[in-house]
Amino acid sequence: MADEPQEYIKVTYTKPRPYRWAAGEYLSRLYQECRDNKKLMTVRCQHCKQHVWPPAKVCGRCKKLSGNDWVEVSDKGTVVQFTYTNFPMFDPHAGRYITEEYPFATIDIDDSEIYWVARLEEKDKSKLKTGMRVQAVWREEDRGGGLDHDILYFRTIEE
Amino acid sequence: MARRVAIVGVGQTYHKSHRPDVSQMELVNEAVRPALADAQLRMKDIDAVYVGNMETFEGIYLPDHSMVDFSGAYMKPGFKIASGGTTGASILEEAFHAVSAGIFDKVLVAAFEKQDSGDSTGAITAATTPAWGKGQARGAIHEFAKQALSYIKHSGATEEHAAMVRVKADKGACRNPYSHLKLGLKSVDEILSSEPLEYPLRLFDFCPQSCGACAIIIATEEEVRKITNKPVWIADTICVHQEIFRAGAFCDFTDKERYSQEIAAERIYKRNGITNPYKEIDMAEVYEPSDWEEMLIYELFGLCPRNEGWKLVEKGITEIEGEWPVNPSGGVLSSNPIGATPTVRIAECVLQIRGEAGEHQCTKDIKTAFATALGGPNWTSMILLKRSL
Amino acid sequence: MSERNVEILKDSDRFVFPWHLSIPNTYPAGVVGSKFLIELRDNKKIKGIKCPTCNQVYVPPSSICKYCFGELSEMVEVSDKGTLLTYAIAYEPNSVQPVEGSPVIYGIVQMDGADNGFVHMLGEVEPEQLEVGMRVKAVFKPKKDRVASILDIKYFKPIKGKVSQKG
Repeated sequence: MADEPQEYIKVTYTKPRPYRWAAGEYLSRLYQECRDNKKLMTVRCQHCKQHVWPPAKVCGRCKKLSGNDWVEVSDKGTVVQFTYTNFPMFDPHAGRYITEEYPFATIDIDDSEIYWVARLEEKDKSKLKTGMRVQAVWREEDRGGGLDHDILYFRTIEE
Repeated sequence: MARRVAIVGVGQTYHKSHRPDVSQMELVNEAVRPALADAQLRMKDIDAVYVGNMETFEGIYLPDHSMVDFSGAYMKPGFKIASGGTTGASILEEAFHAVSAGIFDKVLVAAFEKQDSGDSTGAITAATTPAWGKGQARGAIHEFAKQALSYIKHSGATEEHAAMVRVKADKGACRNPYSHLKLGLKSVDEILSSEPLEYPLRLFDFCPQSCGACAIIIATEEEVRKITNKPVWIADTICVHQEIFRAGAFCDFTDKERYSQEIAAERIYKRNGITNPYKEIDMAEVYEPSDWEEMLIYELFGLCPRNEGWKLVEKGITEIEGEWPVNPSGGVLSSNPIGATPTVRIAECVLQIRGEAGEHQCTKDIKTAFATALGGPNWTSMILLKRSL
Repeated sequence: MSERNVEILKDSDRFVFPWHLSIPNTYPAGVVGSKFLIELRDNKKIKGIKCPTCNQVYVPPSSICKYCFGELSEMVEVSDKGTLLTYAIAYEPNSVQPVEGSPVIYGIVQMDGADNGFVHMLGEVEPEQLEVGMRVKAVFKPKKDRVASILDIKYFKPIKGKVSQKG
């Protein structure tokens, strides 16, 4: 076909694209409680009576309206799976590569049907075990940035 | 009454990690031309063009708009479809519906991905619900790490089983001129000693990021008679969506939920009178982003009982020379141009059924095959193909 | 943890987060695209591509002819002067516009020798002076600022000449 150009040009586009994300009624209530009272709150579905997590207007299990039975959720749980990353990944919300320093775990939250995937404080991989007990650690100042911002990570506890 | 539809032409690019010499539009054109040549048709013979890719992976919204001239869609009808990982199969499904219903006679579908243009992990993270995904730059690999952990727990499979799947995939890829990664793996130790990515996945356990495109042309029975004497008939297609499981996108940690793959397989087998898929279907090209997922896929599509997928691997049943080949082309583990990947799976089944797969042709005669697609969170598409209806 | 852009909403009870998505994208221009951009950067020349079957010249060049689906490779030089086919004035600034400031005047310009127009900006002209069919000429950036981008042409400015009726 056409003969080769002297170099191949790549056009770059790096402008950030702004948007506004409305969390909605149920998530806003959770975020408020996190910010003002350091409490985790969600609804218990009026039909299937299970926790809806994250709190949402429609229960993911029974596909019906969740209702308004707001209850507090425990901030303690048991690790059922954990994993950790060994390479930097691109975070589009930061606009650059970040090496995730904390391990992630699927945590079975006490007294609920909730599985929460969250960071663990423990960076020493040899200390990670399934079945270990953990508890959420809150950010002390400047809460109000959503759940992932207000809860820093889960700390191993002796129990 | 629905008309019967067959695939009359396939074309794909040589998948690579970087293609600085072509723009996205030109990449699609590189797959469209061989598909037309394979069907011995001209662009003016085509009635409609459907295009697909994973939107925003390359940062382009409405990718089909800028490639109208290159995909051959100028002054023709058709849609862009962006359904995530299942895109490549969705375009074929929609085209199949339209041709079967009598709206068009000959349709071209083309899917592509140009992963050197963006950052797919970044884009996948951006696709997550802002409430949840933000602050967790995890991408698809995190979900497949969880799937691997769950699979180890429920089935007792070991890392060696997963590595054996990877060696099988590479064998096929080295015989397939189009595939991206041709590593020449000789033993499972090479996989077990490769760089760790996200526990328990290692570098070779997971699919690459490829630039590639694939195009398929389908036609009604009447047109098929004029075009080719080796049609591959689309017996059925199905698509099943799923919501994210409680603790992961692709696995149910509690082992209580049903998977979209099981539902899709159940329905399609019932509709087509298949009671024993192992005996009545000859092979499959499945969408397996990780080698652990491939073992789960054997189980979910009914090739073996639950939690025994690893046994098929041990016995070599799914090798190219095996009793029930899976992914003789090297699969997604060897080439993953994401939007085009399901289309490539379908095109590879077509080559196998026609007996035109060259060095990676299965030893067994392939009369019936299925191709699957996987999207997050665990959406499934399945296409059933036959040499004769 | 909070290296990313997080808005702290102190007083609201309905959370609406003003976030942004920053994914860097790079687009290979391809063979003919690269040649076009290199000519802008190195020689201040505008090149198009010719389809011999349909006798059309496309600027910027495309490797496929939309009418006959033919593969094209014959690059030709076109003039740096052309005709303004139409224009639009953006008074409201937005975050993804190609240059700073407002208003920005966009126009579709057809170079002499080409059979189609392309989008660019107009400069050294007041909105009231704009007229469909007016003659314009490309103004290039100084060499140190040219980077093989369509923006190596800074804008098109009006020149004397008969206002064309075609448009």
